[in-house]
Amino acid sequence: MPGSIGLFLIMLDHVHSNVLIFLLCSVGLIVLPHAWNLSNLIIGFFYILWLWRLLGVYRKTVLPNRLILFLATLAGIALLYSQHQGLLGLDAGTHIIITALGLKLLEIRSERDLYLVVYLAFVVAATLFLYQQSIGLAIYIVFVCVSLLATLIILNGRVTATIALKIAGLLLLQALPVATILFLLFPRIEAPRWEFLQDKHKAKTGLSEIFEPGSISDLGLSDELVFRAKFTGAVPPPAHRYWRGPVYTYTNGKLWLPSTQKVKVLPQDYLSVSGAAYQYTVLMEPQDKEWVFALELPVGIRPPLRLTGDYQLMNDGNTHIRNEYVLRSYPTFNTGTLDNAEFKENTQLPAKVSPKITELVTRLQGVETSPEALIRQILTHFRTEAFYYTLRPPLMEQDPIETFLLKTRAGFCGHYATAFVYLMRVAGFPARVVSGYQGGEYNKVGNFLEIRQADAHAWAEVWLSDKGWTRVDPTAAIAPERIEQGVNIDLQIASGLVNFSRINLGQSGMVNFYQQFRQVWQSVDYQWQRWVINYTNEQQADLLAALGMFDIQTMLRALFILITLLTLGLFIWLTRQPRQTKDAALIWYEKFCAKLAKLGLIKAPAETATAFADRVSKRYPTLNVAVHQITVLFLKIRYGKDIDPNELKLLAQRVKTLNINQLLKKHSL
Amino acid sequence: MFTQPIRNLKERLQLSRFFKGEKPTKGPIELNHRRIFIIPTLSGLGFGVLLLTLLLIAFVYNNNLAYLLCFFLASIFVVTILHTFRGLAGLKVQVGPHKPIFAGELAAIPVIIENPYHYPRLHLQIQLDQIETCTIEASCQQQIIIHTKILQRGLHELDTLRLINTFPLGLFRAWSPLRFDTPIMVYPKPAKQLIPFPDTDSDGLQSGAHQKRGGEDFSGLHEYQPGDAPKHIHWKAFAKGQGLLTKHYSTQLASEIYLHFATTPGHNLEERLSQLCRWVIDAEASGIRYGFNIPGLNLPPSFGTLHRSRCLEALACF
Repeated sequence: MPGSIGLFLIMLDHVHSNVLIFLLCSVGLIVLPHAWNLSNLIIGFFYILWLWRLLGVYRKTVLPNRLILFLATLAGIALLYSQHQGLLGLDAGTHIIITALGLKLLEIRSERDLYLVVYLAFVVAATLFLYQQSIGLAIYIVFVCVSLLATLIILNGRVTATIALKIAGLLLLQALPVATILFLLFPRIEAPRWEFLQDKHKAKTGLSEIFEPGSISDLGLSDELVFRAKFTGAVPPPAHRYWRGPVYTYTNGKLWLPSTQKVKVLPQDYLSVSGAAYQYTVLMEPQDKEWVFALELPVGIRPPLRLTGDYQLMNDGNTHIRNEYVLRSYPTFNTGTLDNAEFKENTQLPAKVSPKITELVTRLQGVETSPEALIRQILTHFRTEAFYYTLRPPLMEQDPIETFLLKTRAGFCGHYATAFVYLMRVAGFPARVVSGYQGGEYNKVGNFLEIRQADAHAWAEVWLSDKGWTRVDPTAAIAPERIEQGVNIDLQIASGLVNFSRINLGQSGMVNFYQQFRQVWQSVDYQWQRWVINYTNEQQADLLAALGMFDIQTMLRALFILITLLTLGLFIWLTRQPRQTKDAALIWYEKFCAKLAKLGLIKAPAETATAFADRVSKRYPTLNVAVHQITVLFLKIRYGKDIDPNELKLLAQRVKTLNINQLLKKHSL
Repeated sequence: MFTQPIRNLKERLQLSRFFKGEKPTKGPIELNHRRIFIIPTLSGLGFGVLLLTLLLIAFVYNNNLAYLLCFFLASIFVVTILHTFRGLAGLKVQVGPHKPIFAGELAAIPVIIENPYHYPRLHLQIQLDQIETCTIEASCQQQIIIHTKILQRGLHELDTLRLINTFPLGLFRAWSPLRFDTPIMVYPKPAKQLIPFPDTDSDGLQSGAHQKRGGEDFSGLHEYQPGDAPKHIHWKAFAKGQGLLTKHYSTQLASEIYLHFATTPGHNLEERLSQLCRWVIDAEASGIRYGFNIPGLNLPPSFGTLHRSRCLEALACF
């Protein structure tokens, strides 16, 4: 019916242009965070349409007619086509929704269109979460959702924006209990991974399968979170915080690669451990690799986790999501013997060793032939000669190890570790490079360690006949602060230079306000990640088992019962009868009359309260004061202007304490 | 007197309750859960589709925040049911006295709605023919005039009155069909043609009225008596504080007519009734005493509002 649509437009333009303005603001805000996720072209196109519609609120003539709208739609389709993304996949889907939303804005003709726009905006909100799941974004979206709901409230209640926002906020609060129950108890079924709906994972920064000495320095400038570890008992001192990652055995002189040997099945007693164990939970951020970073060395591994032959922890399950692992590690261990193949693999050298290196090794080794002596000598060499620890070493294209050892003498942990391993191998001792993370910032508030990309580290491992594989960290010789204090990530990123944390973690008083705030925030974030983002079907099963619910039927029953109860409770609360103070006063007065009725004094319907009080006083002069007090108070509350709740209490008390027992005896006599 | 209890299940499940409401009553009706019905609107169904879409997104991408958003909106959906119901619950509705109308006119029916609760009722809709909207503040009473057009003469039962609420989100529509036992009297539509009053010396009337009609000789002032034509009241004297006096004209005695259904011109019943209606109005307006005779009712010549309504009601219900 064109007539009614026209009528509605008039209504929209004149009476409820504020509905439109409100809606447009909310929609503009909901798309805004996508500016960081999506193609600028699409976002730009959307905001042009958005501005166009906003102008149209004030100046109706600028709104497009059908032809122009059709052309705009074509332009949108062309733009989508230019992105070469097809129809499926996260980016493609989001692009389509946003373009459709923009075009729909220009075509708001009826109330139903307004609803459609609001619903599309909610879908956009959901797509935002597929890109980012931070608390900040969640709070932002809550606010925008409130304003979207407020749009509907203005439309249906003809109220002002402030009142609508208030009502929307109230609705949200009232929805909170049921939403929480749904979140906790709604069955989570792990969805099959439909590859066509997922975008190819964007390359993430982090350690890689192929190790180059310089590769770790790139990570030194990234504060991206890798994982968090929460300890149930003691937190290891910094010198024990070696989080083991990939191990590199083969080298061509420049690159280092993991062992190509078939995965060695570790025997049940692959380790002989001693000392106290660390108990902890690792919350890994999503990653491309199957690696799990555990303290050296973890024991008691259960599927889907598995330990490789070189003691690296792997997850055979899905690592593209946040995972939580409960682990136990012993810092003191003995890995036992090496077989021939392993021995050969770990003494492999790329080509003929240059005489200068052989000479260096011979010189360092001296007369002592034990590997321990050589380790000591090499570390002393690093410490006493003019070696530098730097994030940005000079380029070493040809024979990097030799250049580093003899010429440039400036490098990052990767350079020292590879050089060290190389020298050990030249002397004929099995050695390899281990990469991973070292250190981590301790969060006092949440009692967990937070490990970021900048904590990436490389160290060496030497096989000793009596101890098995033994960790040797050459960085500890050249830059002991790196190990003892950890990396000061902020300063390192800001300056681009190596920076270590100044604060000693033992002295809590030194933590300044900023750091304290940061720790609180990170602690909140940790809980958020753990309980909201990472609440999977396993966590759900754990929680329900703790509550005594073991199967899905019980869970669903509990879900329905709880929702019904909560809804019923809310319903009763919402439609409760207002307790009027005036009526409460009347109730107490009636009780007062009932008391006096026992004495044979019955208030006549036409008698005023004061007249009744006078009559009572005449009959029982002892009651004079009390009866008049009650009467005056009652009249004041019932007919007075402002009601003081204390007066009501006083009235109640006086009626209760009105003592007629003595008189009652006389009366009955 | 409030709602009559519904006695048995059969009555309770009657479909007509949803549309027409319960049996008509006179007194104020308090809206309770028996009187209020609620269904999702089209937008509400759309919201359901939105929820399913969000659930699908959350499921496919296994995203907890998307789940949370979906659950929040689902929860708001449930809470909205309560709020929509609450928009009507506890209201006391009453239909005020309304004047009779002539067929084809708009009847103005005052609906008095009392909100005894501590929260306002925003954008309440009252539907009879058209929809009127109003907002009733907390602990307030408000009168809303709704109009309905009635073309047929007679004593009409008031159509089912609907109170509708879609606040807060428009996802649900709560409505309460109410029937009130306050019929509307609709007089016939007065004829447009001006036909002179009929001569009245027939049917053996002993009125002795053979005097000429139409003379306007002023004969004096008398004390006002109920039934005197307002146009004959001596308003100037009243304004001076001399009390209500009525001017009397010598012709007034002579002007007594008799309106007979049988002698009224007209092609059919309705036309005759219309003509009679017109005469009654005109006679009353010009202060002529008129007798009224239609089958079933015979009123001696008289004058005044009461007489007039008796005649017109007789015409309406004929």
